[in-house]
Amino acid sequence: MDTFIQQIFNGLTVGSVYSLFALGLTLVYGILHIPNFAHGALYMVGGYITLMMMTHAGLHYVLAIFISVIVVGLLAVLMERVVFYPLRNTPPLQDKIAAIGIMLFLEALIQFIWGAEYRSMPTPFGRVVEFLGITVTTQRILIIAAAVIIMLLLYLFLKKTMTGAAIIAMSQNREGAFLSGINANKTAMLTFFISGALAAVASSISAPINLVFPGMGHLVILKAFVIIIIGGMGSIPGAIIGGYILGFSESLGAAFISNDYKDLIAFILLIMILTLRPKGLFAREVQ
Amino acid sequence: MKLKKGLLFLLLISLLLLTACSNSSSSNPANGNGKGKKYEGTPVNIGFSGPLSGPAAYYGENILNGMTLAIEEINENGGFEVNGEKYHLNLVSLDDKYLPNETGSNAKRLVQEYNTPIVYVPHSGGIFATQVFNEQLNFIVAAYSSEPDITKQGNDLTIRIPPKYEIYLKPFSEYVMKRFGKKIAFLPTATQYGKDWAEKLEPVWKELGGEVVYKSSIDFTKDTDFFTIVTNALKKNPDVLFIGGPSEPTALVAKQARELGFKGGFLVMDQAKLDEMQAILGDWGMLEGAVSVLPLPYSRNEGNKNFIDDYKKKYGKNPTSEAGYHYYSVYLFVEAMKAAGSTDDPAAIRKHIQKAIDRMPSDKRIYDIRKVEKDGGLVTPFRMGVVEKGKIVNMSEKYKN
Repeated sequence: MDTFIQQIFNGLTVGSVYSLFALGLTLVYGILHIPNFAHGALYMVGGYITLMMMTHAGLHYVLAIFISVIVVGLLAVLMERVVFYPLRNTPPLQDKIAAIGIMLFLEALIQFIWGAEYRSMPTPFGRVVEFLGITVTTQRILIIAAAVIIMLLLYLFLKKTMTGAAIIAMSQNREGAFLSGINANKTAMLTFFISGALAAVASSISAPINLVFPGMGHLVILKAFVIIIIGGMGSIPGAIIGGYILGFSESLGAAFISNDYKDLIAFILLIMILTLRPKGLFAREVQ
Repeated sequence: MKLKKGLLFLLLISLLLLTACSNSSSSNPANGNGKGKKYEGTPVNIGFSGPLSGPAAYYGENILNGMTLAIEEINENGGFEVNGEKYHLNLVSLDDKYLPNETGSNAKRLVQEYNTPIVYVPHSGGIFATQVFNEQLNFIVAAYSSEPDITKQGNDLTIRIPPKYEIYLKPFSEYVMKRFGKKIAFLPTATQYGKDWAEKLEPVWKELGGEVVYKSSIDFTKDTDFFTIVTNALKKNPDVLFIGGPSEPTALVAKQARELGFKGGFLVMDQAKLDEMQAILGDWGMLEGAVSVLPLPYSRNEGNKNFIDDYKKKYGKNPTSEAGYHYYSVYLFVEAMKAAGSTDDPAAIRKHIQKAIDRMPSDKRIYDIRKVEKDGGLVTPFRMGVVEKGKIVNMSEKYKN
């Protein structure tokens, strides 16, 4: 029983990070209509900026995350302006190639500046606590809490504000949104900003239980693709639920079936969901 | 609009340049290996194909650091003389991202374009891939992997630099079993190398009267968090965890095991280095009771102290064992070329390795290697270090045989 609760908790931790990351990916999908391959690189840059703010500028962890969120958000906006905006009328293939290019560029750049070594991020929340017979560190509680709060805020923002509604409208139909008076450029930039910010938060809160290195984005990007396919491309609840589904299938699958088969379990799940709902769990009916 | 197109173009160009750089023959630009300097005599190209980008890039970088240091020293001291002619060394490094198929094509390119008599490959998959054709294309594979099968291929042009891991199995097991108990859980890296290690360790552990209570592996290229798998392993109440893989993520596995309340010992695969693990964790506390290969800086002696100091001065950190072995091997191959009287006859160079070992200058004996076996394996004396009361203790002598 203890193991079961422990594994639920482990799944919740991993799932929170996946969800946050996949949210940014799914939001931008609404605009680009391709998965943004460079999202993993944004995640990586976010981890590095937080780490460097802490170790070189001596800032507190929370403050460092805040700066990282702004910087990576702006980097994502820059990406949109310089690369994706000029490509908006070209076939999607161009966007895909550009996204892969940005990913390679950012990884090479970070490795050039800060080297290839693995770095560990210190955290003020490293204490081990035990409750309900399970063992956790405060950092892991922080991951879950922060993820839930951020997702809640994002949801309220998208559902209750005009700007949020504009983002959703844009993702549904760019021209339509344009005709009803939405400033498409501004909305696109804002969406990219949010997406970058989410990537930075995801990496900054998960880095202390992991490591910071130039290839760290690869670990999550593939999983995020699976998540947004499960949840339905461009769907916000889909990304959140999909993230937790994958998190739980990894932890519970590893615990009760076999660790060696846990990726297999995740992909069988993917195939099953796609067979029953070919466009994903929460896909919109009309594209 | 024009401006934006221009910007995009610029970005693309710089991207192309960057990828071009990482694939071209230049070695790590961040370390500046003295390229562009003019050295005396004819250059001898030394090839390297290893991970310079991706998750294992750091490993590749350490290796290049060791090789670069040796090559610069040799060149700055006027090169070397073979049959009365002056030569200097030139390192040609290619990135294979740890992928054996890329190693294969890199090695071909190194030999055909740069005429390298020796190609260094630092991972077992890549070594097996190059061993398929190295005798045909006539070049020595300088293999850096403790995988025993490398020297069982009957390949006449392979030199295995580090010792076989087989020698560690029994002494490591004896130590942790005596100190912590008989139950072990297996959590090594999911690579072929990790699986082979586990397979060879299991009978040894059982023969000593121990029991394997949990068997799995961790894929460091896919897993973001190890809490799940460590929880599973700890459910079986092991006294010892067998862990291994790249040092840094392996350190995290140890850390998370401690966080989950594990009090036993760690049997650490030779791929992970205790000192690098400690660097990630901050102190030795969490690694108490870990046994592995003794890190280089903990066995300072006449042969390696200059190297350790020079390396620290140049790169600002302690040398890892891969840096040490590669530094040593560059000098070894130079001695072998001198003894063979040729820089471009791999068979002759290989034949004179023993002579080169005998002639190695005493201050370059980073490891006290005295012999090369018939199959091409260099014989390093047994090295073992354990963490006791927050300190590394050298157990090499005590557990020798």
